[in-house]
Amino acid sequence: MSLQLQPVRVKTGSHDTEGQLVFTDGLLVAVLVRLSEDHEGKAGMWFLEAGFDGAEERTHPTFADLDAAQEWIQRRLDGC
Amino acid sequence: MLHDLCGRTHQVSANEDIIGEGERPENVHLVMEGFACRYKLLSDGKRQIMALLVPGDFCDLHIAILGEMDHSIGTGWGCTCVKIPRATINDLTTNHPRIARALWWATLTDEGTLREWLVNMGQRRADKQMAHLFCELLVRLQTVGCADEDSFEFPISQSDLADTLGVTPVHVNRVLQELRAQNLIVWRSKRLQILNVERLKAFCDFNPNYLHLTRRANGDSSE
Repeated sequence: MSLQLQPVRVKTGSHDTEGQLVFTDGLLVAVLVRLSEDHEGKAGMWFLEAGFDGAEERTHPTFADLDAAQEWIQRRLDGC
Repeated sequence: MLHDLCGRTHQVSANEDIIGEGERPENVHLVMEGFACRYKLLSDGKRQIMALLVPGDFCDLHIAILGEMDHSIGTGWGCTCVKIPRATINDLTTNHPRIARALWWATLTDEGTLREWLVNMGQRRADKQMAHLFCELLVRLQTVGCADEDSFEFPISQSDLADTLGVTPVHVNRVLQELRAQNLIVWRSKRLQILNVERLKAFCDFNPNYLHLTRRANGDSSE
């Protein structure tokens, strides 16, 4: 997988502050945020806060873990 | 005559459709209690709720004229409806001009509300969009005697609210926390309370003109 992760703190206006910048070939392609305990059943899952060049979705998907998120982003970048 | 019609109520269970996309039923439905909604399901399972229907709202008045439903009407929460035969609607509109005018008014008001929702979705931030919906529901429910001065029964889920606003449940959760933190609302036990109605209206720039609640000066009424 050609994606690289970089931890980041994100100001979302909520308790969801733990994030990961996702890069492909040195270019930022997505920002993922780990959902806080405020989200009960979804706490700990990764939320697509922002995505670019196909890795965006109006309904902002949530992923069980970072691997699932990266697979989805890669698929989108591959045009699938 | 209207009183007789309203006597024939029936209960619609939670998660039951009142009328589905593509159907052409012989009855028009009027909500008497609870909430219903207009919605559309996409092939990938996503859902958009385009209108919340409260007591006094016709679900499908236009079906008396149009060929078939282009969207579905259902209730995730259960409601009570009256079925009015299409023939009765045709009779009312043909022989009772004042009622025909009221039905026309209802349809125009639905359109006004839809326009405002479009503005909300396209131009207002999610927190203001949600606040605007709460202000709208308070006014609409007060008009039909289903809300007190600052609160009303609000049985829908956060997921329903997300599909109504066109945002994710994550955003709904965040915005609710924010509105609570600002002491604007309390949503507990399926009841929404607006802690300071004027402040919430100012926050979201709420102007109820699109609900057309005031009558024209020439005496035409909405009833």
